[in-house]
Amino acid sequence: MSEYRLHSVILAADYPVDDVDEMWAQLNERQSHLAEIDAHHVVVYSAMWGPSRVLVTIGVRCANSIREILRSPAVFELFDISGVDEIPAVFAGEVVEKIDLYEPSLDDAVAGVIVGVVTSVDDVPALMVKVHDAAPRFRQSGVRKIWVYKAFDDSREVMILQEIADEISARRWINHPDAAAEWMSKASFGVYPTLFVGRFAHLMAVEAKAG
Amino acid sequence: MFVCLCTGVTSQVVTELVAGGATTSKQIADACGAGSDCGRCRRTVRAIIAAASVEDCPRHATR
Repeated sequence: MSEYRLHSVILAADYPVDDVDEMWAQLNERQSHLAEIDAHHVVVYSAMWGPSRVLVTIGVRCANSIREILRSPAVFELFDISGVDEIPAVFAGEVVEKIDLYEPSLDDAVAGVIVGVVTSVDDVPALMVKVHDAAPRFRQSGVRKIWVYKAFDDSREVMILQEIADEISARRWINHPDAAAEWMSKASFGVYPTLFVGRFAHLMAVEAKAG
Repeated sequence: MFVCLCTGVTSQVVTELVAGGATTSKQIADACGAGSDCGRCRRTVRAIIAAASVEDCPRHATR
């Protein structure tokens, strides 16, 4: 199997957790371990509906091997401190594009709803064309941002994070997504986690390791 | 997605093995190593096997 030599990596995993704040406190205590894998940011989103669940993304710089990162103690600790025995599949990829559909404004102080999907699409470049073409409609539906990441291990696999203005718009978007948002109908099958719906909970800027 | 963090086995690899006839997590572990070390990914492996069996079901074949 080939290794992946990269400049910037995002890891993401979606899993149940008993106490998000306790998990976060423990993760902060292990910041030096995250620095060992050259992580620069950790973001935690907390699910709004249903059982307590988080979507965690970790940005890692200048990775030599994604597999080395994945089997590092820092990654296993992420699950251990959350009380997760059965480790979920982990997305590993890079940014395709971060599309902001609204100009930054004071309203941004009110956190939107994050809808996260990992799934397989037919063609990532074609998808991006469709997303740009449909941007006005997305905006009308309350979608503020669409961040698209492509997987390193599968050219058709994407993670898409959508920020939606409020819960009512999010419910409407989930139940009746735009036809161009083909990823919404393909979530939750096989290895892929169910649609994640939550809010931003925590952000950590990881201090680089000394030397 | 990466299914097995210990071995770096991806969902594509597991899916291909299932398409090739693997029906248990032990068969997957024997074939590619996924789940053979700490074993904490076996639930995900079983989910991929289960999803394939649903896809094979005529009622769900159009998914």
